[in-house]
Amino acid sequence: MSEGKSEGKSQVTAKGRMYPGMSQDERTVFEPYSAFDIPADLRTLHGRYDVVSTALRVRNFRYAEEWMMMMMGGWLATIPELPAKTGLAKVVWETAQAADILGKRLPELRCGRKAATASESANKGFADFIEAVSEPESPDLTIEKLTGIFDVLKPHLIQVYEKTGRETDQICDAPTIELLEDIVRKARRHVSWGKEVLDRLCDTDAKRQRRQQRSSQLRAQLEVCGGVTGELTTASA
Amino acid sequence: MKRFIQHEELARDSRFIRQTNAVATVLASLPDDVDKVVAVFEQLDPMIAQSVIGTAAEALYDEYGPAFGLITLNEPLDPNQTETLGARMRLVLRMHGIFAGELQALEGAGRSLWDFPDAPWEFKMNMARQCWDEARHVQIFEKLLHHVGGEIGMFPEATFLFECACADDPAQRVAGVNRALEGLACDVFRDMIKFATETQDDLMRQSIDYVLADELTHVRFGSEWVKEFTKDDPERFKAARDFQREVDKQFSFGGARSAREDAAIPIAWDDRLEAGFTEEELNELSEVSGGGPSRQTLRKAAEILGERHRAKTGRVAEVAQ
Ligand SMILES: [Fe+2]
Ligand SMILES: [Fe+2]
Repeated sequence: MSEGKSEGKSQVTAKGRMYPGMSQDERTVFEPYSAFDIPADLRTLHGRYDVVSTALRVRNFRYAEEWMMMMMGGWLATIPELPAKTGLAKVVWETAQAADILGKRLPELRCGRKAATASESANKGFADFIEAVSEPESPDLTIEKLTGIFDVLKPHLIQVYEKTGRETDQICDAPTIELLEDIVRKARRHVSWGKEVLDRLCDTDAKRQRRQQRSSQLRAQLEVCGGVTGELTTASA
Repeated sequence: MKRFIQHEELARDSRFIRQTNAVATVLASLPDDVDKVVAVFEQLDPMIAQSVIGTAAEALYDEYGPAFGLITLNEPLDPNQTETLGARMRLVLRMHGIFAGELQALEGAGRSLWDFPDAPWEFKMNMARQCWDEARHVQIFEKLLHHVGGEIGMFPEATFLFECACADDPAQRVAGVNRALEGLACDVFRDMIKFATETQDDLMRQSIDYVLADELTHVRFGSEWVKEFTKDDPERFKAARDFQREVDKQFSFGGARSAREDAAIPIAWDDRLEAGFTEEELNELSEVSGGGPSRQTLRKAAEILGERHRAKTGRVAEVAQ
């Protein structure tokens, strides 16, 4: 097999030419056949975000994941319900991993080799929103703590990540799509765990009311600032 | 949410009760003198009596008086000793203490994420991973506690571990938590594995073996971050080392965890070497931890305190310890 190649010749057999030659009649016998043909690649080039704006979005996402991870870490000590403590610790780790893979995408998006730990809030409003989510402190506020993360922030991020995945260039920006898909898969698990815990904790009308109030308050704040990327509108939410 | 909380602020459900850390602090600095040990315990007696009310330790207090901890925690686990209350409770009490320790380790790792927002990303990744590991340890030791017949909250919880190790400087925090306390965890878990092997308790042996593997990783986090946080700053390095030594001393329980021959929990030399401690550090630890009273002293003191307690309450002594 390597013999013909090492001699630098285009091997011509009884079945036809194996390697292209220099002239028009020296084409190989192989039919055009590419991985893109089967199955048909229906993806089209061009998406809503260019390299610079994708990099900015990734920094925005990383900001949310990093702060979410840190505040949940802080709450481990101030949440009295044992299964909520231990369950939340796993969410801490997986949220840290989400921030980590988002960061690792940044140098690939021409942000410089040191950019892997860059986080950026879309605007002051979102930074204030994060602060509001992290505010509850005392041990009787588990409902307020978990509602901010599992009823408001994580569902919002899932929505934005999925929208980004649909709108970005499906081929050029496939690495971003892949990592967002991984994050979403785990975030969905977090949300269903968090909602289950909240359902269990909110066992009276008064507590359900607290959850409801907290989530509508935070949602309103999120909408005003435009969400994690600062571009949320009521219609797109 | 504020940064830096006090150990009193650790949140617990209604099963838990707290024990004052004052007792543990005093125990960490007992002299090798029977009379003085007796005097210290007699002074602490009212506080100890108060802290056991309504817990499983109340029976131990009734039987042995204020020094029941010397008969339980300061004695080695011995599979052949089951005839006295103290020997029977030793394993459950230790398991409960480990469970509480894991809980505080989880909270300490979590607080490191919130307390030091400007720390390097890799540090945050390590702490986040440690949160998950410690949470699994909490779950594992809850199950092991049930396995040996115990339950959460049956003994009071001292939050001594969180109080001593959670310094405000990240270098000291990792020196205290990840090197001193995770190192102690290596010693305790190696000893538990030995006990589980002797008693052919494979469930306990295998699960603690996994936990020990995690703890080695946490020690490594500590070794790396102390180095990183203190590079080019010999003063900060010295402060971290001094802090670690202090925590090591406090958690040697007056020599109960040491390299001494009469130690209830020996230093897990090989595991610690694998985790990144140097021979020099381990020699130093032997010195720091071995300074408390001998087991003979503690036994004698416990005997006197037990007799006095029984004389006071009119109880009859058990056969032997
Ligand atoms: Fe642990
Ligand atoms: Fe640990």
